[in-house]
Amino acid sequence: MDGDSSTTDASQLGITGEYMASGHYVLQSQDDDADESLNDHDDGGIKENFREQDIYLPIANVARIMKNAVPQTGKIAKDAKECVQECVSEFISFITSEASERCHQEKRKTINGEDILFAMSTLGFDMYVEPLKLYLQKFREAMKGEKGIPGVAVGESLGEELTDDSFTNPLPAGIITADGQQQNVMVYTTSYQQIPTVQQIQFS
Amino acid sequence: MKMSQNNADKDDQTSATKKTISLPVSRVRLIMKSSPDVSSINQDALFLTTKATELFVQHLALSSFNNGSGKETNTLSYSDLAHTAEETETFHFLTDILPKKILARDYLNSLDQMQEEDADF
Repeated sequence: MDGDSSTTDASQLGITGEYMASGHYVLQSQDDDADESLNDHDDGGIKENFREQDIYLPIANVARIMKNAVPQTGKIAKDAKECVQECVSEFISFITSEASERCHQEKRKTINGEDILFAMSTLGFDMYVEPLKLYLQKFREAMKGEKGIPGVAVGESLGEELTDDSFTNPLPAGIITADGQQQNVMVYTTSYQQIPTVQQIQFS
Repeated sequence: MKMSQNNADKDDQTSATKKTISLPVSRVRLIMKSSPDVSSINQDALFLTTKATELFVQHLALSSFNNGSGKETNTLSYSDLAHTAEETETFHFLTDILPKKILARDYLNSLDQMQEEDADF
């Protein structure tokens, strides 16, 4: 062993041929000589076996969208669903890195909507841009329709990523406002009651 | 006090939100943040990305279904996707993760062939 933890000799590592298909080798610690090379290094070369693309959206959600997209009688193979799941993560990363680059070029730290739309345009997804703008508009209107309290609650933990001009006051439980203004009516609750007039953050 | 409002408004709000998004936003954010050099993402960006992802899935699924064997077999298969990624420029970025699969048997056969060729020297 030359101590190189990235040996690609399958028989040495004891990994099966199925791992050869991807360009990335997941180093398994097997009960063979491979262990020596892995342990020789500080991080054993194992650290990076969790790629960014390994985070996926739930397959049920992805499959549902696919099912609704193809003709009603159509079927979808299981490996196709898994594959699209991976493609989705790739897509998100693709768009994000492009948007992030533009952001950095303009010396900004927060990726905003414009960056995303611009990235899509640049990367060949300009057909999404107009529908997306419409969705965004509808979404904002749906939120604002509530008695003049602009609130945004889209699934879990959205509140953590507010824009730079968002307020710094601590939030009372259950209320988040998009423009940082606190309305006169503040509902202070310590429990997550269902308060009809205010859109709450849904923790599912 | 606004607390006396009935529940109908809230339900409309929730269903409006649910109608617009069918993917978990927090997971999308997680994937976005795993990109290098990403510090923070604003709400609009997150919403747009999530929504775009939906459109992407629909787009990819339907294109692959129509262009591939879907028409005959009525089933969307992995190879339809791989095929579409290669044929359609928009989906070229997927070619690395959508290698055309070959049977292990065929792979091993071609390995053997290569070794035989080497041995001929």
